[in-house]
Amino acid sequence: MQPALNATVFLVDDDASVREALAWLLRSRHVPSDSYDSAEAFMRMLQTGFVPTQPCCLLLDVRMPGMSGLALFDQLALRGLVQAMPVIFLTGHADVPTAVAAVKRGAFDFCEKPFSDNALVDRVEQALQQSAQILQARSAQTSAQSRLAGLTEREHDVMRLVVEGLPNKLIADQLNISVRTVEVHRSRVFDKMEVKSAVELANALRNV
Amino acid sequence: MRASLRPALDKLALAWRRWSLWALLAGLVLAVLATLVFLAGRYEASQVQAKLERDTANTIGDIRAGLARNVQSLQALQAGRPAPEAWALGARALLHERRELMRIEWRDDALAILEHVDSPFHVPVFSRYDRSIAQSDMALACANAHRFSGPAYSNSYFVPQSDGLGMEMMDVCLPLASGGQPAGYLVATYSLQEILSDLVEKQLTRSQEVSFTEADGTRLALHGQGRRGSRVFTAQQLLNLPGYTLVLRMDSWRAAPDLFPDVLTALVSVMSIALVSVLVLLAKDMRRRLRAERGLADALAFRKAMEDSLVTGLRARDLQGRITYVNPAFCQMVGFAPEELMGHSVPAPYWPPDQADEYRQRHAIRMSGGSVPPREGFESVFVRKDGTRFPVLIIEAPLIDAQGVQTGWMGACLDISEQRRVQELTRATQERLQATARLATVGEMASLLSHELNQPLAAISSYATGSMNLLQGDPGPDGHSSLALAMRRIAEQAGRAGRIIKSVHDFVRRRDEAREVVRPQDLFDAILPLVSLQAGKLGVRVELSFEKDLPSVLCDHTMVEQVLLNLARNAMQAMDEPAITRRLLVLAVRRAQATERTAHSPGWLEFSVADLGPGIAPQVAQQLFTPFFTTKREGMGLGLSLCRTVVEQHGGFLTLQPNQPQGMIFRFTLPVHSPAATAADA
Repeated sequence: MQPALNATVFLVDDDASVREALAWLLRSRHVPSDSYDSAEAFMRMLQTGFVPTQPCCLLLDVRMPGMSGLALFDQLALRGLVQAMPVIFLTGHADVPTAVAAVKRGAFDFCEKPFSDNALVDRVEQALQQSAQILQARSAQTSAQSRLAGLTEREHDVMRLVVEGLPNKLIADQLNISVRTVEVHRSRVFDKMEVKSAVELANALRNV
Repeated sequence: MRASLRPALDKLALAWRRWSLWALLAGLVLAVLATLVFLAGRYEASQVQAKLERDTANTIGDIRAGLARNVQSLQALQAGRPAPEAWALGARALLHERRELMRIEWRDDALAILEHVDSPFHVPVFSRYDRSIAQSDMALACANAHRFSGPAYSNSYFVPQSDGLGMEMMDVCLPLASGGQPAGYLVATYSLQEILSDLVEKQLTRSQEVSFTEADGTRLALHGQGRRGSRVFTAQQLLNLPGYTLVLRMDSWRAAPDLFPDVLTALVSVMSIALVSVLVLLAKDMRRRLRAERGLADALAFRKAMEDSLVTGLRARDLQGRITYVNPAFCQMVGFAPEELMGHSVPAPYWPPDQADEYRQRHAIRMSGGSVPPREGFESVFVRKDGTRFPVLIIEAPLIDAQGVQTGWMGACLDISEQRRVQELTRATQERLQATARLATVGEMASLLSHELNQPLAAISSYATGSMNLLQGDPGPDGHSSLALAMRRIAEQAGRAGRIIKSVHDFVRRRDEAREVVRPQDLFDAILPLVSLQAGKLGVRVELSFEKDLPSVLCDHTMVEQVLLNLARNAMQAMDEPAITRRLLVLAVRRAQATERTAHSPGWLEFSVADLGPGIAPQVAQQLFTPFFTTKREGMGLGLSLCRTVVEQHGGFLTLQPNQPQGMIFRFTLPVHSPAATAADA
């Protein structure tokens, strides 16, 4: 499967030759990458206000001088970035238990050096896919929220009762308005929420 | 109440018994003394009395003799019918001579005075009173004299004197005869007082009173010292005179109350004082002895308690080697009762039977005084009654008696198995620690190395995989140059990995510079303490065997010591099985025979470590030097492989072969240091 063209893989490793080799490998599978030589450098990039909007993932070396990979992962987890930007750890034999613990805390996967084949690239693509799904869900959620925000108070009341599955007549009785008015409000709600039926409306609301 | 009273009562009874004895003794002595003093006094008194009696008798004799002499002198006056003047002259002379005579009268038959003479020393007696005052007495005496036809004495009579006093007088009448016819009388008047003062020895009257008394005790005359004391001795004797009897009485006074009347009593008293003093001294001595005895008993009890409470076993032997004393700790140590040990000579029951000869030799040397035992003691092995062995530290010292003569040997034995165990434990712990530390270091290095190697390997595999990806798909226009780049990178990274490996090798090789010239004995001396410790624990006997005049070897002595220690340990552990009773470890060095492997070099020494263990199965022997292969529960499987590496780094080789009759021999060779070779290298 082809990753989205605008997807990016972030590489964080202190060893230049490893960074280069990995970038080269990814490029051979048409996956663009962006390299950083330390966890601090990546943090600086984040602090410029980076928010993942495109599918991305992070290949992170566990053992680095200065800030370790694990510390960086904890920072990302604090900022809630590790779902939209899945983290794959790169480890030596000695660091496997550390990496396993990190996976339990929400890392996407870990890969033992030396990684010999395309398995790593496959995992990277899966991570990018997960990233894309999460971003998509998030954008859906945010659009539903903005539409909801456009409803008037009365439309809100009508919508709640519609979702509960009450017929127009009962809604009119409850809100002390005429059935006609209910129908008007109902069509307005359907328009604003960009749905065709009560079922769709309920689905849209579940995302919020 | 009663319980508390009882000991007090006992104590009281004891004290009473002791004190009553002393009191009795003192009482007896006092009684004896009193009796002595009393008897001495009595004896003294009787002596005095007897003397007094004698004196009295003598005095009587003297008086009689004096009176008799006077009678003779009076008769002599009449000899040859003297004329009255001549008679008077004679009489005067006589009176001059005899003071006791107061007056001499010559009377006729009718008692008329013919002639009379008075004593020149006195006022004439009858100057105040007339002679008639005593006429009757005198007449009676003369009548008696006439009757006896011999001298007769009158009763005494008192004549008052002109000085207001008086004198007791007594007349003696001598009948005169001429031609058988009475021819008047001679009457001489005696003063009783003067008789006493002149006829009695002066000696006697110096210290006593002499007196004449009547038979009824009326005192007539008295002479001598007055009274000077209360105690008086009296003796009386009759002085029978013809016609009159007087009593002579002597009184002797003693000073009173006189406890020591004289020398004898004094002597007795002195002796008694001496006796009492001796008694007191005896009591004192007795008390001192008692005190000393009690002190001795306390000291003895203290000693005994000390000996019994010691954890150190004590054993005394006489010069013949017989056991003369053991304390409870010793008995507990070897598990024999004291009576099983006392009097035992060689071999002692607690000697291990297989080493009895060695002990016997040592014992013989000790008993012959050939060697002075070391002050810090020597280590040995004893066997308990149940057959278990345990190591002991024996410190022996000569037993010197009070006269300074050596009577035997006193040995203090300490069971050092616990000490050994602790030492062993400490050693094992330390070793484990060291091993852990080494392992940690090795682990650290391995982890570092693997990380270092992982980087180039990761890079290589990435490039390789990428290249494969390019080759499988369409390389595109710049595919060729990309591939070329990847290959270059692969080569670079392989070079980098090689450099890492080489640096490790260099690190190992750097130890080669630690080679030095070492004597083989020094190698053994360094590990022997550790080996002996474990050998003692496992009951293994260690034998060393060196060829004579061995050259030195060139080696890293720390590493080689580790190899030797490791092999020795393995050997001893192999023998640590219940079935194996002969446990012998032989460490040997000899010159190696030249083989094609060693022929080119200046020479080799062959070190060997031989055990009598169960040996090693061939299939195990093949894997023995494989790293991480182990037959031990706690082994790391690095020991032997490291040993072989070390030996091979020195250019030698490590082999193993079965030992006879059983067990294994590990041999390894090390190069002999030859000055020439090193000079050539330099």
